[in-house]
Amino acid sequence: MDTTLRPVKAARGWGWALPAALFVLPLAAALWLGAAEAVDARAWSHLLSDTQFAAALAESLWIAVASTMLSATLCVLIVTRLHGTRAWQRVQGALGGWLAVPHAAFAIGLALLLMPSGFIARLLAGVAGWDAPPDIATVRDPWGLGLIAALVFKELPFLLWNVAAQLRRVGQGAELERQLQIAATMGYSRRTAWARLLWPQLLPRLALPLLAVGAYGFTVVDMALVIGPARPPTLAVLAWQWLLDANAATNHQGAAAALCLTALVAALAAAVVLAWHAVRPAARQRWTRGDRPSAARRFEWPWAGTGAAVYLAVVLSLLFMSIAGVWTFPSLWPSHWTLQAWAGVAHSSSTVGVTAVLAIVSASTGLVLAVAWMETAPAHWDARAAGAVFAPMLVPGVLLVAGLYQLSLHSGIDGRFAGLWLAHSLYTAPYAMVALSPAYRGFDPRYQQTAHALGRSHAAFLLRVKWPMLLAPLAAAFAVAFAVSVTQYLPTQFIGAGRYATVTTEALTLASGGQRNLAAAFALLQALLPAIVFGFAWWLGRRQARRLHAVAMA
Amino acid sequence: MLELDAITLATPQRVLVRNVSARVAGGELLVVMGESGAGKSSLLAMLSGTLPDGFIATGAIRLNGREIGALPTAQRHVGLLFQDDLLFPHMTVLDNLLFALPAGGHRAERCAQAEAALARAGLEGHGPRWPHSLSGGQRSRVSVLRALLAQPQALLLDEPFSRLDAALRERFRAFVFERVREQGIPAVLVTHDPQDVPAGAQVIELRPELDDA
Repeated sequence: MDTTLRPVKAARGWGWALPAALFVLPLAAALWLGAAEAVDARAWSHLLSDTQFAAALAESLWIAVASTMLSATLCVLIVTRLHGTRAWQRVQGALGGWLAVPHAAFAIGLALLLMPSGFIARLLAGVAGWDAPPDIATVRDPWGLGLIAALVFKELPFLLWNVAAQLRRVGQGAELERQLQIAATMGYSRRTAWARLLWPQLLPRLALPLLAVGAYGFTVVDMALVIGPARPPTLAVLAWQWLLDANAATNHQGAAAALCLTALVAALAAAVVLAWHAVRPAARQRWTRGDRPSAARRFEWPWAGTGAAVYLAVVLSLLFMSIAGVWTFPSLWPSHWTLQAWAGVAHSSSTVGVTAVLAIVSASTGLVLAVAWMETAPAHWDARAAGAVFAPMLVPGVLLVAGLYQLSLHSGIDGRFAGLWLAHSLYTAPYAMVALSPAYRGFDPRYQQTAHALGRSHAAFLLRVKWPMLLAPLAAAFAVAFAVSVTQYLPTQFIGAGRYATVTTEALTLASGGQRNLAAAFALLQALLPAIVFGFAWWLGRRQARRLHAVAMA
Repeated sequence: MLELDAITLATPQRVLVRNVSARVAGGELLVVMGESGAGKSSLLAMLSGTLPDGFIATGAIRLNGREIGALPTAQRHVGLLFQDDLLFPHMTVLDNLLFALPAGGHRAERCAQAEAALARAGLEGHGPRWPHSLSGGQRSRVSVLRALLAQPQALLLDEPFSRLDAALRERFRAFVFERVREQGIPAVLVTHDPQDVPAGAQVIELRPELDDA
């Protein structure tokens, strides 16, 4: 008998094109329209001749470089010192909580602590004998130190989380651990082994998170409005103010500044890659010199404790400020407490409603897009999609928002809920994808073969087997997407044209307007709403785990 | 000379090794045999100082008269070979060897030393290559060279042959035993395969004590 062998081709339709198009088309249109806004010779000449431009640019560069270098250095130091100890377990356990505090809420809380009439100054006043707040800019300082501090405290947990994820990757973590053992048998201290073996392997894999940290520090607006330098503000804040201006020519200048920021992010990333390749040969000489520096036991800084203390102080200062009444300067305690701010929050309960509905709708959209993509496209296509997925995280917010505004204008959804839904979903979808893909792509394909071999349809497999089994990661991805939506400031303010207030827009508007009590209350809500959803996802995951465990035990 | 004196090794659940003593002279081989889970690898980890928390270990380990049982791994001068070659993927073959070689002398001298080791192992000119471009057998040989260039006073082998296919295995085994003799250092080999045991080697057989509480 003559049989011909044909390669079996998986039947793969064009299903992937729908989620891809729903995400990529508006994203590409927004980027195109944003860039098009900036293509205007007059706008560029205005921008370059603007009296604040050079100083603002220098300031933005300084803040981005300082905060990125500091976060990266601290991350390397902490992991090198703590990895393999109980303290590292403690840090890893605390990371989730630190990451869950939104950037803007953190900046507002830190500003309340640091400001001249803040708690720290009051503590010092007792020692130094001040009877009035010190006359120095401790929050919106011209050096951007307050913003740098806020950025470092927020970015460091993000970098540590990324390192932990790399070390946890199946197979890799164990392999790196044995490389450390091999180096130890050759007489290398743990610290030298990390410096010469592990970091050279890990740092290239952390390129994307590091780029995200640098780009964020360079182009952040919401934190900078609260705790960044004021005169001049950073270039991103200037761009934002120009985009909000009533004058169309000024809007173009804002778009030009946004494009300028985007180009500089790309240039900085290229410069870092070139620098890495330039120093590599010298570094390799050092790695292989063969010397074994002794592991000098130095004072061990309590990193986990410091991080916990800072975050606790920030959240407490928000809570404290939201219920503080009259509070004369040097006294550590307000003369009375008041629930006025919370009454104000209750009064504008529609704000919380809008925030929650918008977040639920856009998080669901993001999650559906991510699942639809992963169900229809093979795993190795994820690398091809990476450019689109990471664009909303890496492209400066001011540029993307300028383009999204044009897009919503052209399609008549500016200032409407639909416009906000579109804008928020472009941010929630990539985060849902990144949060979900390890579990979703790691799902054992044999379950599908088993279900199909049992004669069940694909829909039955998804509804009765796969999604129930992946309930915990699906819920976690939804929570991440929900938090991303709640904390959006630029698109909410700009596309919503000020007609839709969320806890985030309220907190930032009130904070820059000096209404501290109400701003603190809204900032707390900004942290609280995502925390509730994270808690729910965590509970679902635990219930699921217990059920599966009970089944396994039966 | 590596001396194990009344070694006992246990987890809170059971005793893995009970009162084992042995003396391994330079160039000689001690083989530790046993089923998987019998505690062979834990015994090696105890000798190299990489035993995780939760084990209870007693007894003395002496290397050339020096008591090493309480020293950190980096001060024991005990080389270690795993099943996997564990060549550092971000370094060339030559850099891997230079990493192991103690400091001192000019870079050119150190390179010459590493290249001479490669040549003796039939790997001339492989220095500039990346580990992933070598065959499995070549990688295994480089990892042995690397362990020995660090000038250990004893070598520990954790089933280093089990990943290789039969033909390669025979040759690689001979290669390793020859190096150990050449270097004149004591070696401890952990394996579950009786074929790995060369003629005349000391053998310790570990049997799990299932009834122990």
